[in-house]
Amino acid sequence: MELFAQLIVNGLALGMLYLLIVLGMDIIMRATKILNFAHGQIYMLGAFAFYFVYSQFGLGFILSLIAAGLLTGLLGLLLYLGVFHTIQKRMASGMPFSYRLLMSAMASVGLMMTLQQAAVLTFGSKERGIPNVFPQLLTIGKVQLPLARLMIIAVSLAICLGLYLLMYKTKIGKAMRAVSYDAEIASLQGISPTRLFCVSFAVGCGLAGLAGGIVAPVFSVTLDMGTGIIFMAFLVMVLGGMGSYKGAVIGAILTGLLLSFGYQFIGGLGQLAVFIIVIVVLTFRPGGILGKALD
Amino acid sequence: MVKHLTKAREKGGRSKHSLIGVAIVVLILIPFVIESPYTIHLFIMAFVAVILGMTFTMLFSSGQISLGGAAPFAIGAYASALLTLNFKISFWLALPAATIITGILALGIGWVLCRHAGAAFVVLTMVFGLVIVQTVGQVEEFGGWGGLTSIPRPDTIANIEFVGKTPYYYLILFVLLIVILIYNAFYTSRFGRILRAIKLSPHLAQSLGINLFRYRLMAFVVAAIPAGIVGSFYAHYARAIVPDTFGGWASIRIQLYPVLGGLDYYILGPAVGAIIMTFVPEYLRITKEVEPIITGLLLLLIIVFFPGGVLGVIFRSGRAMSLSGGINKTRSWLIKKISG
Repeated sequence: MELFAQLIVNGLALGMLYLLIVLGMDIIMRATKILNFAHGQIYMLGAFAFYFVYSQFGLGFILSLIAAGLLTGLLGLLLYLGVFHTIQKRMASGMPFSYRLLMSAMASVGLMMTLQQAAVLTFGSKERGIPNVFPQLLTIGKVQLPLARLMIIAVSLAICLGLYLLMYKTKIGKAMRAVSYDAEIASLQGISPTRLFCVSFAVGCGLAGLAGGIVAPVFSVTLDMGTGIIFMAFLVMVLGGMGSYKGAVIGAILTGLLLSFGYQFIGGLGQLAVFIIVIVVLTFRPGGILGKALD
Repeated sequence: MVKHLTKAREKGGRSKHSLIGVAIVVLILIPFVIESPYTIHLFIMAFVAVILGMTFTMLFSSGQISLGGAAPFAIGAYASALLTLNFKISFWLALPAATIITGILALGIGWVLCRHAGAAFVVLTMVFGLVIVQTVGQVEEFGGWGGLTSIPRPDTIANIEFVGKTPYYYLILFVLLIVILIYNAFYTSRFGRILRAIKLSPHLAQSLGINLFRYRLMAFVVAAIPAGIVGSFYAHYARAIVPDTFGGWASIRIQLYPVLGGLDYYILGPAVGAIIMTFVPEYLRITKEVEPIITGLLLLLIIVFFPGGVLGVIFRSGRAMSLSGGINKTRSWLIKKISG
C-alpha cells in the first residue's frame, strides 16, 4: 500500500513536470509553428537561474521560482526576436509548410547545441545541489510520502491554474489563442501576430524555466538534465495529441505513472515499454489520444 | 544536381558531364595520391555521411522531415553484425541480408509513421530513432549498452584482402556512386516529380489522384535502404558498434549535411555539406568542447542569412531559398495535369 502510494506520488510528480514542459512547447508550437528543440536547455537554464538566485541572493523559494520563470521568459523573448523572427519573416510568403517547419526546427537544433555547450563551458561539469527545501516526509495514517514530490505536484498545479486563467480569462490569452488558430484572420481583428508570437514564446519558455526551478531543490542541478527530458517531452506531446491541451495533460500524467511503475517492476525496460505503448496508441489513433490526425 | 543535369541538357552543356567524369576519376585516384591512412579514413567517413545525408534529402523531397535518420543506419549495422557473429555467414551475404531486413522493417515502421505529416512526423521519427537505440541497448541479445565487438572483416573476394583502408574506400565509393545513380534516376522520374508535387501542396496532389500515403511510404523505404547498406558497411569497417553511435545526435548531424550544403540540390547538397562537416573540424583542429558551439552557430547563421546553403550562395540562388527551378517546374507540371 505504502509502495503503491509512493509510486503514484512519484509518477504524478514526474507527470506534472512533463506537463509544464509540454504545455510550453505546445503553446509555442501552436502559435508560431516552431518545433522548439532548445526547450530542454531553457529548462536547464531555469534550474540554474533558480540555483543562483536562491543560493546567492538568498531569496525565498517562491521568489526564486518567479525569478527563474521571468529570466527564462526574457531569454525566450530575446531568442525569438533574435533568431526565429528573422527566419519567419523570410519564410512568410508562399513557402511550402515543410520548408518553414524544417528551417525553424533546424534553427532550434542549432540553438540547442549552442546553449548546451555554452552552459557546459560556463558552469563547468560539477553537479550542484541545493540543500533540500522540503526534506521531511509527510505521514498520513501509516503511509509516508516524500513532501518534496508533493510540493512539485502542488506548485505545478498552481502554475497550470495560472496558465488556464491567463489563456481563457484574459484578453491577451484570448488573443494568443486567436493567433494560434489563424494568424492572418487574427490580424484582421487588430491583433499584432508578431507581438503575440513574442508573448507566446516568452510564456512557453517561462514555463520551462518554472519547471526547472521546481526541480532544482528536489533533484540535483546538472548540465544534461535538459537533453534527457526533451525527448520524453516530445514523446508525451505526440502521445497526448499535438495541439490539444487536454491531451497534453492526459499524456503527461499517463507517461509519468507508466515510468514510475515501470522502473519499479521491470527496471530499465520501463522506458522501452512506454515507447511501445506510444507506438501502439499511434497506430490505432494517428493523432494521439485526443488530437486530430494531421495531414 | 538533378536540376543541373537537366539544365545542362537544355543548354547543351557537355561540360557538366565531363565535370562529373573528372570528379569520379579524381575520387578513384585519391588512395594513390594520399598516403596517410587517417585521411583515407576521413574520406570513408565522409562518404558514409554523404549517403546518410542523401537519404534525408530523399525523404525531404516528399516534404517529410525525418529526425530519425540514424535509425535505418543502426538497423543495417546491427542486422549485419548479428548475422555474421551469430550465424558465421560471410559479409557478402550479410550485406544484402541486412539491406533486406532494413527494407522490411522500414516498410513496417513507415506503415505506422507515414500516416502523419509535418511536426507529428518529425517527432515520431525521432521517437523511433530512440526506440531502436533503447532496444539494442536494453536487450542483452543485441549486445546491450556495451555494444558488439570483434565484428569480422569482410572475407577476401576476388583476391582483394580487406586489410588497411584502401579496399574499404573503394567499396564505399562504389556504394556511393550506385546510390547516386539510383537516386538520380528516382529524382528525374515520374516518382520524383510526384514527391515534389506532394511537397509543394499535399492537398493539390491528392486532388490529382496521388495517393499520399503510398508515395510517402515509398519515399520512406527508398530513403531507408541505402542507410541500411551503409550501416552494414560501417559495422564491418569500424568492427565494433555501440548504441550511442546511433543516438539522437547522430540523426541531428545527418540532417545538418543537406541544410548546410543546400536543400535545393538533392545530391550535391548533402555531399558538399557532409564533406565540409567531416573535414573542416579536423583541419581547424577544433576541440570536442567547442565543436558543438561552432556547429550550432554555423547552423543558425546559415539558416538565418543563407537559407540556400553553401551551394545556394555559390550558385547565387540563395535569395530566400530560391525554389524557382524545382518548384516552378513542378507547378507547371501540376497545372498541365489539371488542364488535361
